[in-house]
Amino acid sequence: MKKIKTRYWVALIALVVGLALTAITYFAVGIYQKDNVAVITDTQISDRLVEKNKDVYANEDQTREQVLHIKVLDGKYKGKTFKEKNIYYPSQLVTQKYRAGQRIFVSIKKGNLALGNPKRDWVLVLALTVTIVLMIALSGKHTIALLVSMALSWIIFYGIIVLDVKLNGAYIILLFSVADIIFSFISLLIVQGFNKKMLATWLATLLGVFVSFALCYLIMKLTGESEMKYETGDYATQDPRGIFLAQTLLGVLGAVMDEATDIVSSLYEVIQVKKDITPKQLMQSGRTMGQEIMGPLINVLVLIFVAEALPMTILYLRDNNTLGSTFGFTLSLGVTQSVISAISIVLTVVFATGCSLLLLKKQRGEN
Amino acid sequence: MSTLIALIIVLAVLMTIVGGETGIRSFFSVLINTLLLILVAMLISWGINIAIITLIFIPLKLATIIYLGTHDYVVAKNSFISAFIVCLLVSLLILGCEWLAQAAGLGPEAGEVLVGLSQMPGLSYPMIAVTVAIFSTLGAIAEAAVAMSSGLLEIKKHHPEITRKELEASGTSIGNDVLGTAMNTILFGMFGSFLSLFLWYFRLGYTFGEIVNEKLFVNEALIILYSLIGVLLTVPFSTFLLARGMSNENEVNNEDRKSNSN
Repeated sequence: MKKIKTRYWVALIALVVGLALTAITYFAVGIYQKDNVAVITDTQISDRLVEKNKDVYANEDQTREQVLHIKVLDGKYKGKTFKEKNIYYPSQLVTQKYRAGQRIFVSIKKGNLALGNPKRDWVLVLALTVTIVLMIALSGKHTIALLVSMALSWIIFYGIIVLDVKLNGAYIILLFSVADIIFSFISLLIVQGFNKKMLATWLATLLGVFVSFALCYLIMKLTGESEMKYETGDYATQDPRGIFLAQTLLGVLGAVMDEATDIVSSLYEVIQVKKDITPKQLMQSGRTMGQEIMGPLINVLVLIFVAEALPMTILYLRDNNTLGSTFGFTLSLGVTQSVISAISIVLTVVFATGCSLLLLKKQRGEN
Repeated sequence: MSTLIALIIVLAVLMTIVGGETGIRSFFSVLINTLLLILVAMLISWGINIAIITLIFIPLKLATIIYLGTHDYVVAKNSFISAFIVCLLVSLLILGCEWLAQAAGLGPEAGEVLVGLSQMPGLSYPMIAVTVAIFSTLGAIAEAAVAMSSGLLEIKKHHPEITRKELEASGTSIGNDVLGTAMNTILFGMFGSFLSLFLWYFRLGYTFGEIVNEKLFVNEALIILYSLIGVLLTVPFSTFLLARGMSNENEVNNEDRKSNSN
């Protein structure tokens, strides 16, 4: 009882601290290097229809104009008020509608003000607060390990990006392979601690990622990478093929780690509960678990990789492109990445069960 | 033969060998799931109400993932119920956060990709952003629900006389592992999905302050957080549902035995 109580108290404290940080972020001024923060002073923004539009694809939309009064909150022009017009289309694909009382970024050059992004960072802090509070309430002490692991992942990710830019995209596959090895070791170490269960999981993860990546790479080579439209990858700042392969290596790692952990730790629980289990029974258990998990897990990645392309896909379809050409432009890379990841996930069932057998043997040896 | 088709064939073969009948069904669940997403895109592009489409496709996609992907009916039923409740809760959260963040539409590269495309499609991109966020999190929630239920059932199978309390303790233990690693699936999935965007930010010299206020980054980070919240909520829901279902089952069995002995 007492343990539960402390957990909720800590969650409550985290909530208060989180909300305070959210407020601080919301009101923060003067900490941004490039842009200035400003606030829209209107309580009711004048918003008028300029014209109704119909484009060549018969899409109907409007052009609207907002007149904003903006008070700059930091920088050279602090305290000055500007009057600015903002043209937007209600679909907000590329334009932005502003709200009364909102805090936004502006850049001012030679007395001319240009509207920028609304301030969004505080929403991130708010959502992070909700996540952490829930995590503490449900998971207790475990939260620290999870948060440290998440923060470390971001830091390593940042480091790898710096390194990749330094190398200018050379050795990209090698770089991300090494990254996978380091990432998985650290994540598993933090969540499970250093023990034989963790080592078995790590081994299964590495086998799952690299054996299947090699297999898929072989298939790609054998089929001559036909119809692989690397050039359709978004935001390509370096060789798009390298980026695609790196994305695949990185994207699947978490899922394979997840799966290996699920299978190895569940089989480990089974070994604890039922000491006299035979290797054959254990393998059967592993296979059953794997069968249950692999479908949903593949779907997680499919949803992440494909849903990301949904806004563009909708736009292409809206503009009377055929399904085939839309698929080629917006979806084919995401789908290919999903399929390669799926192959890794399926093979990991085999490797994770195999590595659990090692655990059973160890335990037998100790007894 | 195109590379994609070759890869799909290899996947189908592997899923059949490793997964047997369940594997084949999982393959179709993934296939149908992908087709459903494309169908959603088509329906939205025809101008049908986005909120209604989303509400219809949430249970449809959950059912595809869970019922087709698992062969155990008890696992499937428990997973579906807990995943559906959690999805609705998370959808409310997403609506709120997306309204606050105003992070809809295309990112900074828009000018380049939009050559020849309509900039005024007459569709509500804020609403589309909500739909994308919901569908991105839905998979993680379904996966967590299935991992929880099947893990607990496996323990129950090897230890049939387990009490509800012991089962709940095992649930917390499995839950912690599922949570720790669901986080990795989501985090790395998103890293893998947005690597090129991060390289873009870096090469174009975005400052930290700019990145954390940038549309696509905020959207991505929020999706990671929504998914985590979804997974977090799924752990207690699944354990509770399964533990409750089991104790009822045991009582029924005991009653049966009693009535038989009478």
